[in-house]
Amino acid sequence: MEDILVVENVTKRFGGLVANNKVSFSMRRGEILGLIGPNGAGKTTLFNVITGVYRPDEGRVIFKGEDITGKPPHVITRKGIAKTHQIVKPFNDMTVLENAMVGALFGKRARQITIGEAKEIAYQSLELVGLAEKSEEFAVKLTLRQKKMLELARALSAEPELLLLDEVLAGLNPKEIEEALEIIKKVKEERDLSIIMIEHVMHAVMNIADRIVVLHFGWKIAEGTPEEVANNPEVITAYLGDPRYALRFVKRKGGEEDGSS
Amino acid sequence: MAGKESTLSHYLRSPTLLIIVFVILGMLVARIMGMSTLDTLMTIMYFMGIALSLNIIMGFAGYVSFGHAVFLGLGGYAYVLLVYFIKPLADLQSLGFGLGAFLVAVLAGLFAAAIAASVGAAVLRLRGAFFAIATIGLDFTALYLMKAIVPELNPEQFFGAQIILPADKIVEKDVVFNAMFLTLIILLAVNYYIRKSPFGVGLTAIKEDEDAAEVLGVPTTMFKIIAFTLAGFFTGMVGALFSLNGGGVDETLFNLGHSIDMIVMIVIGGLGTVLGPIVGSLIYFELYDLLLVHYPGVNLIILGIIVAIVVLFFPEGLIGLLRKYKVKGVRLRDLLE
Amino acid sequence: MDVSILAINLVNGLLWGIILGFAAVGLTLLWGVMKVVNLAQGEVILMGSYVAIILFAQYGLSPLIGGLVALLVGLAAGFLIYWALLHKLVGKVERITLKIEMSTLLAMFALSIALLNFYYYAFGSEPRGFGLWSIGVPFIRVLGTTIRTNILLADALALISVAVIYLFLDRTILGKSIRAVMQDAQAASLVGINPVKIKLLTTILGIGLTVFSGFMVLLFEASVTPEIAHKYAPLSFVVVVLGGLGSVVGSLVAGIIIGIIYGLSKVVVSIFNPRISDPVALSTAFIVLILILLFKPEGIFGRKR
Repeated sequence: MEDILVVENVTKRFGGLVANNKVSFSMRRGEILGLIGPNGAGKTTLFNVITGVYRPDEGRVIFKGEDITGKPPHVITRKGIAKTHQIVKPFNDMTVLENAMVGALFGKRARQITIGEAKEIAYQSLELVGLAEKSEEFAVKLTLRQKKMLELARALSAEPELLLLDEVLAGLNPKEIEEALEIIKKVKEERDLSIIMIEHVMHAVMNIADRIVVLHFGWKIAEGTPEEVANNPEVITAYLGDPRYALRFVKRKGGEEDGSS
Repeated sequence: MAGKESTLSHYLRSPTLLIIVFVILGMLVARIMGMSTLDTLMTIMYFMGIALSLNIIMGFAGYVSFGHAVFLGLGGYAYVLLVYFIKPLADLQSLGFGLGAFLVAVLAGLFAAAIAASVGAAVLRLRGAFFAIATIGLDFTALYLMKAIVPELNPEQFFGAQIILPADKIVEKDVVFNAMFLTLIILLAVNYYIRKSPFGVGLTAIKEDEDAAEVLGVPTTMFKIIAFTLAGFFTGMVGALFSLNGGGVDETLFNLGHSIDMIVMIVIGGLGTVLGPIVGSLIYFELYDLLLVHYPGVNLIILGIIVAIVVLFFPEGLIGLLRKYKVKGVRLRDLLE
Repeated sequence: MDVSILAINLVNGLLWGIILGFAAVGLTLLWGVMKVVNLAQGEVILMGSYVAIILFAQYGLSPLIGGLVALLVGLAAGFLIYWALLHKLVGKVERITLKIEMSTLLAMFALSIALLNFYYYAFGSEPRGFGLWSIGVPFIRVLGTTIRTNILLADALALISVAVIYLFLDRTILGKSIRAVMQDAQAASLVGINPVKIKLLTTILGIGLTVFSGFMVLLFEASVTPEIAHKYAPLSFVVVVLGGLGSVVGSLVAGIIIGIIYGLSKVVVSIFNPRISDPVALSTAFIVLILILLFKPEGIFGRKR
């Protein structure tokens, strides 16, 4: 199967700080890729490079065989990459439905759909994440969990092929995490998506991801299946600490604590 | 979920559109029946015109252009200079029912729009306050340059930056009314269209959270430049016809006071709607006189305090406030969109 | 070209630039630390001028005492402005969105409308000043030109004030906290700096300094009208953008640069047409503004954001 995304030697510096250092990986269509690493490892920066918010100092980003490096975010969104924010950024004084409509109107089919069609797409996305009955509420009134789901619905409304989830589970309680994981799985099946997720909730990402990429101080230090990564000595010393904990993270289904650093 | 409905019935059920039509008809009736003086109607239309123009960038996109009077001035000067120096354009003004004056005003508006587009392209890449500062700077630059340039154009006739149009280069006030009326109708239509279009949704997203809008695919910089250019264009047209109505221009057209007028009307009426500026301009028209008559001297001090109160406690303005309520199960929002 | 005319204009530009730079210090602090652009900058400057004028004209107090009182009034005004206008908008927020930024602009704009019209109401539009008052001799001769001693006094006060502020921000704990918030508000609150306290303090300091600068503006201009707000406010914005948000030294240097650009362009334009030299020279300052925003929006002393 073709690679939907190839990240090649991406380096991004902020002044003296190197946030991403020659990071390379590729992912196949239909994969769920976990992106993990301690705080400040450069995960969100990498998302911002992929979505065009930052232009990398070196390296290339190739999406579906096309070099999209340094293209502006709105162009990249239209090509089929959507992202949710780590810190939720709802359009507070717009309704939930209108929020999702923005995604539809400026997503994959930007300039080709009417307001009416955008409404339908938006509503379907809201149904998918379980927010349909809130569609006429103002976004400011939602709970954190609902705001996170709204982020997801907005991104889905753009009808992406590649979805980037930035800590979608952070701040949710264990039950909400389970629900959110179910939604992500469902969404992936129904929309035939490829997903990269940044996650600190370790057992969750270890369970859902097909493969894991580990960043540490901007470098990629490991890549592989959850089992391989959890047993990689470098990862364990850099990030997971004690190998026994690492294994437990992999094996446990829906625990009561997360493995964030 | 509501299915597709015919566009016509959709528009017919829109109360906003009905109110707009009502306002337009009201003015026409008042004019024909002679219920208001021409000057009063012109003033109302002028207020409504500048409020609806600024609304495109300030109301929808949330970018406040604090020096927006610059486009009033540029439009006014462009118009007056065009008809002063170019005879065919002066003659064109008398073309039927104000259409001629309207066309020359379009030219003046295009000049203002060109300045807006180039300054916008330069500074709208930046966020927030820089834009506000740049428009203030632009206003003063234009003012100083007009003071410097205008007297040189015709040293015998022009007193400072003031230009008075000779009698053979102006038209009857009736004709100006018609041209302004036409401009206002177009301006209402443009505002209404933006409110209902993807463009308007994109602008509102920018206002709410520009970073999120950009990542969701809204071409933020381009949208802001287009909105600012449109706002400059229409403000320029209104400035042009306002000057024609007064028979000339002087540098007071660049005064901060005009920027205050526009901003206060939108703040009071409510950002991001079509009705906001309409209602805001009508309230402001009354409020301004009321304060002037009852509290001469301190009227503008009170106005400043009122604006502060609105900004702090009712940031959505009147229409924005009403939008949040329900009356007998009917959401006012549905009526006011 | 007569060299002495050039020299006179350059010296005047320099002397004025120092005042301009100091007048913008409060603005740059407010903008840099709180992301609040004081659109009432010109009116706040005038507050200092008018306080000193009232004390001089009504109560016969020496302008030097008036200047000190102006500073105190300014600090009090900063306290009031924070609690009446700014706290509700920015006091508790961590991320300043466009919407919040525009609300603060509008709130300060409302203040400027009220203050400006209060000045017109209370003081009229005639020029007001200290009349013939000066310390020591009214004029001295420097480099073949006469300079009013009041201008030198104003410049000396401005330079001393900038130095004091610089040391305060650089050496004291409080000053360091302010700079920390300026660089990263979230990180600062993580290490235990109370953001509300810093915001309040910055407003008091920023408004206080701006009001104080009004005293120097008055000494420099000899007399003021409410209209002068519209000259100093936009120029202050240019100075802050050129100097870099939050940079006190940048503000001073940028003020001097703008003053000298003004002096130079005035000379150049008067070669062609003396009548229009003043308006054209003023507009060059704003053309500089547009150019900086275009090519170096972080300013000459600012850090890239």
